[in-house]
Amino acid sequence: MADLAHEQTMDLGHPEHESTGVDNRKLGMWAFLSSEFLFFGALISNYLLYSNRPGFAGVYPSEIYDIPFTSVSSFVLLMSSLTMVLAHNALSRNDQGGTRTWLFATAALGSVFLGGQVFEFTEFITLHDMKLTTNPAASAFYLLTGFHGTHVAIGVIMLLSLWGISRRQGELSEKHGMNLELVGLYWHFVDIIWIVIFTVVYLLSVPPV
Amino acid sequence: MSVDEHTPHHPTPAQYWKIAVVLAVLTALEVALYYIHKALELGNFNSILLILLAALKFVIVVGFYMHLRYEKPTLNRFFTAGFILAASLYTIVLTALGVVTIRGG
Repeated sequence: MADLAHEQTMDLGHPEHESTGVDNRKLGMWAFLSSEFLFFGALISNYLLYSNRPGFAGVYPSEIYDIPFTSVSSFVLLMSSLTMVLAHNALSRNDQGGTRTWLFATAALGSVFLGGQVFEFTEFITLHDMKLTTNPAASAFYLLTGFHGTHVAIGVIMLLSLWGISRRQGELSEKHGMNLELVGLYWHFVDIIWIVIFTVVYLLSVPPV
Repeated sequence: MSVDEHTPHHPTPAQYWKIAVVLAVLTALEVALYYIHKALELGNFNSILLILLAALKFVIVVGFYMHLRYEKPTLNRFFTAGFILAASLYTIVLTALGVVTIRGG
């Protein structure tokens, strides 16, 4: 009981190694997300470098994009940010049922997005014969969107883990509250990266002349 | 509780829904602009508008959903520094490689 009280005191904003006035776990997550800009920046730059460079054999990604389909996918991911923040809000009000519902909804929307990406890749490969090794533009496209999809998949796993913990324990404890906040930050970051990808890769890409 | 140290300043669920509507409208505008450009050839104006719309969505999600505007300045600096570093670095690289020009015209 004494340990529990100690743990709760720590989670009430007084973690042990806190000299910045910010929870170290949260600071670590923001630092990690900040570094991810460099990671995705490299992949986006790589795509921009090759996406409309003429002379490659095979089809270019920008020739076969299905904008209506990708727009719906983007909308789905954007709305998953809403459900994520609603889960966070529900937990802050100690609405455990609401937290579970919104967590599951977020994971479900993320899964729909991933399903859409698998469908898109399958269409590109089977209908348009654009494989990973077709040309550098195709490689750059798959590398960028594939890594983003991997991030989404990791997010879905974390969301379902939190949902599972909540179901098993009947509630998310104070300790898991911070976990939910960190997963939420990660999830929103994945969303903002897609905002950039959707515009730069899909809407602004032009085939080589 | 730790999940929401700054709860009193955070938006309400109703405000979150309103923000989502704004984001959805901005996305619809982006897609509409894409098709308008295909039909009317807006040139560089299309690229600038699309980038501005994306930037607006980015700022809204970071500010309201990630709560950065309610957080301590330390976090804001961490995140903004990372973004500026990456944006500057890759702008320089892409400019050096001749990739950065306003496209779509």
